[in-house]
Amino acid sequence: MPLLEMRNIDKVFFGQYANRDVDLAVESGEIHALLGENGAGKTTLMNILYGIYTRDGGQVLWQGRPVEFASPRDAIACRIGMVHQHFMLVPTLTVSQNITLGLKSPGYPFSKRKALNEGIMDISRRYGLKIDPEAYVSRLSVGEQQRVEIIKLLYRNTELLILDEPTAVLTPQETQNLFAVLRRLKDNGCSVILITHRIPEVMEIADRVTVLRDARKIITAPTGGLTEKQLSEYMIGRELRPVRREGVARTEGSGLTLSDLCLKVNGVEKLDRVSLDIAPGEILGLAGVDGNGQKELAEAAMGIRKPDSGRVLLAGEDLSAWAVDRRIKGGLAYISDDRHHDSLVMPMSLMENLLLKYSAYQRFVKNGFINMKVLRRTTEQAIRDYEIKTLSAESPVSYLSGGNQQKLILARELTEDRRAIVALQPTRGLDIGASEFVQNQLLACKRRNCAILLISADLEEVLSLSDRIAVIHDGAIMGVKDNTPDIDVAELGLMMAGRRLEELKGGEAGHGA
Amino acid sequence: MGHKVRSAVSFLLVALISVALAMLLISLTGSEVGRAFAGFFRGIVGSSYSIAEVFVKATPLTLAGLGVAVAFRSGFINIGTEGQLYMGAIAATAIAMYLPNLPALLMIPACMLGAFLLGGLWALIPGLLKSRFGISDVLNTIMFNYIAIAIVGILVQTALKDPNNYFPQSPPLPAASALAVIIKSTRLHSGIFIALAAAALVYLFIFKTPAGFRMRAVGLNPRACKCVGISALSCVLISSLISGGLAGVAGFCEVMGLHHKLLPGISPSYGYLAIIVTLLGKNNPLGVVLAAIGIAALQVGSLAMQRAASVPSAIAEIIMGVVVILILARQTLFKGLLQPARKEEKA
Repeated sequence: MPLLEMRNIDKVFFGQYANRDVDLAVESGEIHALLGENGAGKTTLMNILYGIYTRDGGQVLWQGRPVEFASPRDAIACRIGMVHQHFMLVPTLTVSQNITLGLKSPGYPFSKRKALNEGIMDISRRYGLKIDPEAYVSRLSVGEQQRVEIIKLLYRNTELLILDEPTAVLTPQETQNLFAVLRRLKDNGCSVILITHRIPEVMEIADRVTVLRDARKIITAPTGGLTEKQLSEYMIGRELRPVRREGVARTEGSGLTLSDLCLKVNGVEKLDRVSLDIAPGEILGLAGVDGNGQKELAEAAMGIRKPDSGRVLLAGEDLSAWAVDRRIKGGLAYISDDRHHDSLVMPMSLMENLLLKYSAYQRFVKNGFINMKVLRRTTEQAIRDYEIKTLSAESPVSYLSGGNQQKLILARELTEDRRAIVALQPTRGLDIGASEFVQNQLLACKRRNCAILLISADLEEVLSLSDRIAVIHDGAIMGVKDNTPDIDVAELGLMMAGRRLEELKGGEAGHGA
Repeated sequence: MGHKVRSAVSFLLVALISVALAMLLISLTGSEVGRAFAGFFRGIVGSSYSIAEVFVKATPLTLAGLGVAVAFRSGFINIGTEGQLYMGAIAATAIAMYLPNLPALLMIPACMLGAFLLGGLWALIPGLLKSRFGISDVLNTIMFNYIAIAIVGILVQTALKDPNNYFPQSPPLPAASALAVIIKSTRLHSGIFIALAAAALVYLFIFKTPAGFRMRAVGLNPRACKCVGISALSCVLISSLISGGLAGVAGFCEVMGLHHKLLPGISPSYGYLAIIVTLLGKNNPLGVVLAAIGIAALQVGSLAMQRAASVPSAIAEIIMGVVVILILARQTLFKGLLQPARKEEKA
C-alpha cells in the first residue's frame, strides 16, 4: 500500500484544466520527483494535496484511507509538510521561535526555550542540517532559511515532505548538501516529493519520477530505467533545442559601463564596488544565486535606485545623474524579474500598458490629448509582431498568460532604438516556448549591436546566451570569464558560493608549484 | 442569468434591506411608516422647490466628490475635502470683501480661482508630505480639516468679521460676487453648471490626457511607474492640487450661491459625504454626479420626513451608513449570487 495516493485529480481554473486526471503514488521511504515545465500543474497538484486548493474531481488516499484536507492545518496534522518556493518565515524572530511558532510546548506561553533548542539541535545533528537556533532569520542566507523550513517540518514529525523547487535558490554545492540531507531523511523512513524542472537533479536524487505536461500525467517510472533525453522528451513533448548563440565578435567601442557601484540598504551592503563593461553587441551573463544583489544592480543601472557611489555610462556618456525616464529616452531598456509589480499595470489594457513608456512622447499626443489612433496602431502592430495572444488591444493585461505578458513587455522595451538592455531574469516563470522566444529576442537585439546585461540565476540560460560570464556573490563580482565551450562549470559554482576567481586561480597555481 | 442582471438583483437586495431597516427604525420611534415614507418622497419630488433643493445640495457634493475621485485615482487618499472646502470659502470671501468694486465678470472668476488655489494648496501640503516623505495622507488630511475649520472660526471673529454684527460671520458680500439664481423662488443657483462642467473636465482629464493617464497608472501601480520613468511625486502633486481645488470651488459655490457671506458652519459635512459619493460613484465623474444627486435626495427627503411625521432625520444618516456598508460589502455578501459558477479564485 502506498503512503500517499492521489487518483484522477482534476482541477479547473477559469475553464482551463490545471490538472486533468492526474495520478500520483508515493511509497514510504522514497524520494519521488514531480517533473514538469512551469505551468504543467506540479504546484497545483501539491496545493491540492496540501489543502490550499479544493480539487474538482478525484480522490486522495493517505495510508490507504481517503482524506479531505480543508487547509494546510489538516495536512500537517496527518504529518504531511511542504516547503514553499517562497519561504514562510518571520524574519524578525529567531530560528527557534520560527520552528516552534504555533505549537504549544510545555509551560506555554512561558516556553522553556533551552529545552526546545535541545530538540532542534537533535534534529539538526541527526540530519546534518547545520543551524544556530538563536540566530535571527533575517540574518540567514537563503540556504540556511531553507534548512529552517525543513527542520520546522521535521520538528512536527512530518512523514512526507514536499519541496517546491528547492534548488532554484541554491549554489551547486549547497544543492549537494541538500541532497545529502534528503538521503538521510529517506534512510530514516521519511518520504519526499521533490518538485522540479531540472532533469539532472531527478536523475541524481530521485527513486521514481512522475512527469506532468499540460496538466496531465505522462508517466511514472523508476529513474533507473530512464535517460535524461527520454525524460526531457516526456517533459516538453519534443527534444530540447538549445538556443544557439551566434559567434558574433565583440564590437569595439563602449556600450554599457558600470563603474564602482556601491549601495547600502538599511545599513546592509547590497553592492560592493561593482564594475562591469559590456561592449555593443555583447551579452554579458551575470550568474549568481538569487538575492545576491542582482536586483539592486539592475535598478542602480536603470536609475530606479540611487547608488551611494559609482557611475553608469552609456556609450561613454555619464548617466549617473539622470532620472529613469531620461535614461530610457537615452536608449536604455529594462526587463524586470517581476512583471506584475515592476513592469505592468495589471488592470489596464494592452494599449495603456504600452503607453506607460510613451505618455510623454509627442508622437502619442495630439492637441493635449492622448492620440488614440497612433496608440491603437502601435499596439496592434506589437500584437502582430510579437504574436501576443489576446482578445483585443483593449483587454486588461491581467487576462494574458505570463508568456504573453512578457511578450508585451518585450514589445514595449526592446524597440529598434535601444542601445543597451538590462535584462533581469527575463525568462522567470515562463514555459520553454516563451523562454525560447525571449532568448531569441535578446539575440536579435545583440545582432542590432545592443549591449546586453543578462542577469539570471539559471546557469543554463547564462551559459547558452552569454559571450562572457560574470558571477556575483553578496553584492560583489567574483570574476569574469569568457564563455568558451569548455568553461569550467564547477569553478562558476565555487564563485557563486563566494570564492574569487583570482583565489581559485591562485589555488591551482599553488598546487602546481 | 447574465452578470448584469445578477448585479442588478444584488443592488435591489441592498435597497430592500435598507428599506426594511428604515421601516423598522421608523416604527421603533413610534411614527407611522406610511406617512413617513410619503413625507420622504413628497419632500424630494413634491414641488419645484423641493426638486431644486436636491440640486442645491448636489452641487457641493458633486464638486467635492470629483475632488476626492481625482485624488483616489492617483492613490492619494484625500479625507480632507471638508477642510479644503472651507479654505476655498475663505479665499472667495476674502477676495470679494477686499476687492468689492470688481465687476461681476472679473469678480466671479477671481473668487473661483482664489478658492481653487487655496483649496488646492490645502491638499497639496499633505500630498507633498505623502509623496516626498511617506507621511500618512489619511491622517494628514484629517488633521488639516481641523486646522481649516479652526482658521475659519478665527477669521470670522477677526479679519473677515462683520463689524456691524454681533455674530461671528463676515459682512454680506457685494452683489457682483453672487451666483445667479436660475429658477425663481428656489435656492438653485448657477453653481450646478459649474459642478457639471467640472465633471466633464475631470472626465476628459483623467481618461483622455497623458497627465491623467499617468495619474491613474500611479494610483494602480506606483512601483511599475517608477520603473518606466513616470514620476509618482509629480502625479500625486498634480492630483492633490486639482482635488483640493475642486473642493475649494465647492466652498466658493456655497458662499457665493447660497449664503453670500462666510459662516463657521457653512458645510454640513459635505466634505465627508463627498467621500461616500466617490465610493458609490466608483471614482468615475458620471458616477459621482449621480451619487451626489442620490445622497442629496436622501438628505432632502429625510428632512421632509422629519417635518411630515416627526421622524428624527438621524434615521436617514443611519440608513446612509448602512447603504454604504452594504454596497461596499456587496461583492462578498452576495458572492454566491454574483459568482455562482466559480467555487474559488485562483490564488
